[in-house]
Amino acid sequence: MGGLWNWIGGLSSPIELSTPLGLAAWSVLAGVPVGIIALYFLKLRRRPVRVPSTLLWQRSLEDLHVNSLFQRLRRNLLLFLQLLAVALTMLALAGPQMKGSGSTGQRYVLMIDNSASMSATDVPPSRLARAKEAAQKVVDAMGSGDLAMVIAFSDTAKVVSNYTGDRSILAKRIESIAPTQAATSLREGLQVAAGLANPSKQIGEGVVASSVITPKLFIYTDGGFSDVEGFSLGNLEPEVVVIGPPPPAYEPPAEIRPNAPADEQGRVRNSSDNVAIVALQSRRDEEKADVYQIFGRVHNFRGEEAVTEAQLYRHAVDRPGDPGELVDAIALKIPPQTDQAFKFDLTDPGLAPFEVRLTVKDALPVDDRAFTVVGTTRKAQVLAVTSGNRYLIDTLKTPLVEERADVAVMTPDEARAEAAASEIRGGRYDLILYDGVRPDAPPQANTLYFGALPPGPAYEKAKDVQQPVILDWDIGHPMMQYIRDLSLVFVASARIVEPPAGSRNLIESNQGPLAFLAPREGFTDAVVTFPLIDGDVPNTTWFRYISFPLFVLNSIQALGNVREGGGDETARPGQPVVLHAETIGKEIAVDSAARPGVRVARSPQGTFIYQDADKTGMYLARWEPSGRLPFAVNLFDFRESDLAPRGLVPDGTPETMQESYKIKIGYNPVTGTGKAPQVQKDIWWYFALLALGVLLVEWYIYNRRVYI
Amino acid sequence: MSLETSNIREAPHRAPAGDPNSGPLLDPVFLHKLEQLELVSRKIFVGRMKGERKSRRRGSSVEFAEHRNYTTGDDIRHIDWNVYGRLDKLFLKLFLEEEDLHVYTVLDTSLSMDFGTPTKLRYGKQVAAALAFIGLVNHDRVLVDTFSARLEQGLHGIRGRSQMWRVVQYLEKLQPTGASDLTAACREFAIRHAGKGVVVVISDFLDKRGYQEALRYLLARNMDIYVVHVLSQEEVNPELVGDLRLVDAEDGDSAEITISAPLLKWYKDTLNAFVGGLKEWCTSRGITYIFTTNQYPFDKLILNYLRERGLVK
Repeated sequence: MGGLWNWIGGLSSPIELSTPLGLAAWSVLAGVPVGIIALYFLKLRRRPVRVPSTLLWQRSLEDLHVNSLFQRLRRNLLLFLQLLAVALTMLALAGPQMKGSGSTGQRYVLMIDNSASMSATDVPPSRLARAKEAAQKVVDAMGSGDLAMVIAFSDTAKVVSNYTGDRSILAKRIESIAPTQAATSLREGLQVAAGLANPSKQIGEGVVASSVITPKLFIYTDGGFSDVEGFSLGNLEPEVVVIGPPPPAYEPPAEIRPNAPADEQGRVRNSSDNVAIVALQSRRDEEKADVYQIFGRVHNFRGEEAVTEAQLYRHAVDRPGDPGELVDAIALKIPPQTDQAFKFDLTDPGLAPFEVRLTVKDALPVDDRAFTVVGTTRKAQVLAVTSGNRYLIDTLKTPLVEERADVAVMTPDEARAEAAASEIRGGRYDLILYDGVRPDAPPQANTLYFGALPPGPAYEKAKDVQQPVILDWDIGHPMMQYIRDLSLVFVASARIVEPPAGSRNLIESNQGPLAFLAPREGFTDAVVTFPLIDGDVPNTTWFRYISFPLFVLNSIQALGNVREGGGDETARPGQPVVLHAETIGKEIAVDSAARPGVRVARSPQGTFIYQDADKTGMYLARWEPSGRLPFAVNLFDFRESDLAPRGLVPDGTPETMQESYKIKIGYNPVTGTGKAPQVQKDIWWYFALLALGVLLVEWYIYNRRVYI
Repeated sequence: MSLETSNIREAPHRAPAGDPNSGPLLDPVFLHKLEQLELVSRKIFVGRMKGERKSRRRGSSVEFAEHRNYTTGDDIRHIDWNVYGRLDKLFLKLFLEEEDLHVYTVLDTSLSMDFGTPTKLRYGKQVAAALAFIGLVNHDRVLVDTFSARLEQGLHGIRGRSQMWRVVQYLEKLQPTGASDLTAACREFAIRHAGKGVVVVISDFLDKRGYQEALRYLLARNMDIYVVHVLSQEEVNPELVGDLRLVDAEDGDSAEITISAPLLKWYKDTLNAFVGGLKEWCTSRGITYIFTTNQYPFDKLILNYLRERGLVK
């Protein structure tokens, strides 16, 4: 009975529900009381009994009819008892749980890190397997009334299982968590957990949970993420379970490593068994045009010197995932905890994917390979609409422009023709130059206007000015790169307009902006407000200066979506890849080693967004008739490659240094440890016992005619 | 019987075969009890009860009452010649006239009497037989009438112990039939039997038309009225359970009830009020009221209870 009293005392605590039954079972169950009532209405064929006379019974009934409502209630006592019993049974089946002083039901949020570093095998079989085991233990120890939610997180968080008390489902869901090669973002996971941990209402699978219970949050991770700052956990109680080898005994930190990420600076870091390629790029040699360079950086996370070999493999463009052929190799000797750079020179390889492989055996294989694409992978598709501006056309014929762009030249009349107009509408071009021409409608492309204003109400209030003097220009913008001599340029007249909101001025004059960038529905309009020629007479002296072809080239580079080699932009596993395909088709196909021929539809911006790049390696986008665009997906995440678990304080660490080992969530350092979930208690069986008791009372009343 | 008996469960208090209900009325045990009654009743008569039933009327009998002067027109056969011889005066010798005592037994044979173990009817038959036996033994005129819907002509004018078999034979044949109409039966009885006497009405009085008018007919005849109110144990303390449709055995009337504590309490209150009301109504009018159930041994009822109530003298 003590338990019951505790339970009654705890009634002020919120009750949460966890049912093993599904929706179908519940709907059947809900029919039971309805059925009982219906049976009572259908009645209850009264058993006929012959009696000597109904005289006395009738009189008794007459007496009772004085308070017939009350009598009716009494007559239905058995009905009420049955309904009560059913209601209690349903309550019991609903699996009510209570949290209060740890003696009743508990809710768990199990966050399991499945980022790239969790694939490390330094704790056999792998860190992820260990994390799943540890989470499984919590599930096994759950009381039948407890609820648990499982979230897998890497750079994104995914709810693997909603709140449920079904341990077999939880076990299945935990088992289904697969390793990814993505980076880690605890914030992402925490946001999902905080949002879902205490829902006022949950739709679909799962259980409606009250919003007041404090869930226990277990985070199974190796700590490979930055501290989550400025995040309020609310009523979550985090407990970080650090998966990974125990940290070595404390040593005072040596020096600050220059290559570590900013928030890693000054942090005490332990060594781990990993050698990783942390960067890889390919560039055309600035001096020798036909030579490409592939250079990268390898980091040794070990506590001792690592000797390895960086092997360069060339892959076939059309077959992502082929083994490749060995092209070159460089021996590397990397001191502990430092970087080593390497470089390969390639003479005019054409368009080809390359892979750099480290021969070292370490705990995390995924970062021992890195991929890049050599060769101009994509030319800008440029359309110049001009009525024969010789200066502009010549500028578009320089070798550099021809290397980076396919330029088409049309007169305004040709551009208005149906074939060209449909290409413009269909996003065929990356960049359209309008030389003194204003299109009827904005095209589906970036634009560069000379002496004309884009269509639209924002450009209605223009005014003509004479001889504006260029005062300043924005050299920070890529379009104005290397442009130095604009102060010498003379402009005869310009049509100046107040740039719309969100614009960026490129060239300022004493009478207003002479050039600006305006955003438009995912595209950019670059507007030069003065015409290049006025009739046959030049309107400006800009052609005479080197800055004009530079400006045009910069514009094509910046607005034409040019990609050169495996340059700056690197796709990360698990993140969407934006592809610029020179096609007017509605979709393209993307091949990967695992899944060839994934169809990708065009997005409203005219680009193609590929969502399935979840593994590192080479990918190939292709489209009809012969378009090919190989792209590489690489990890390149220092934190993921750094396998030293964070969050465990090594033995012997002085008090003052302990903080730096801890993972900070919000503003609270959380020490990683923690096993053994609390003792929990269900309360559903109280209801079941009550229901049984009610049934007994009913039976007793029915048979013994003992009435309340 | 108009009721469809097929789907009506037999009342739980109906007698199964083989128990006292089905046996002969004149079984040895019963006869033995009657013998005992005879002895006891004789003893009572010989003892303190002697002469109480003598008529107040003077008549020709063996028991001398008094003398009175002869007046013209008196029957000279009653002149006491011995007195004339001594006193030379004519005196008439007066005797107490011994009256025939009429013991009427009116037995309810309606269907409602067919309940209980033994049935109320059988219990009533036993009481009637016992009373008749006592009457016969005491050389009273015994009349047995029965009634259900109306009064049935029964045994009349039986006298002497030797006629007991007729009584038993008659009672044996009685079967429960029809609904009871106490009022009609009593009115007819009052019309038919003008003479004074003792009337014993054996019934359960479960008549929806009431009993007051019926008993008033008997009262009007200035008879000594005895009411033996027989109820079965099941009526006094019903052992019903659940949701029931009670069907009246006589008129088919039904009452839907769900047995509950308050209902049972109300029923018992109603029963007590009914019994108490009948008793009060009777006693306030000089009617001797005797309540019994079918569980009360009838010989004890006769011996003790009836004696206490003055029925047997």
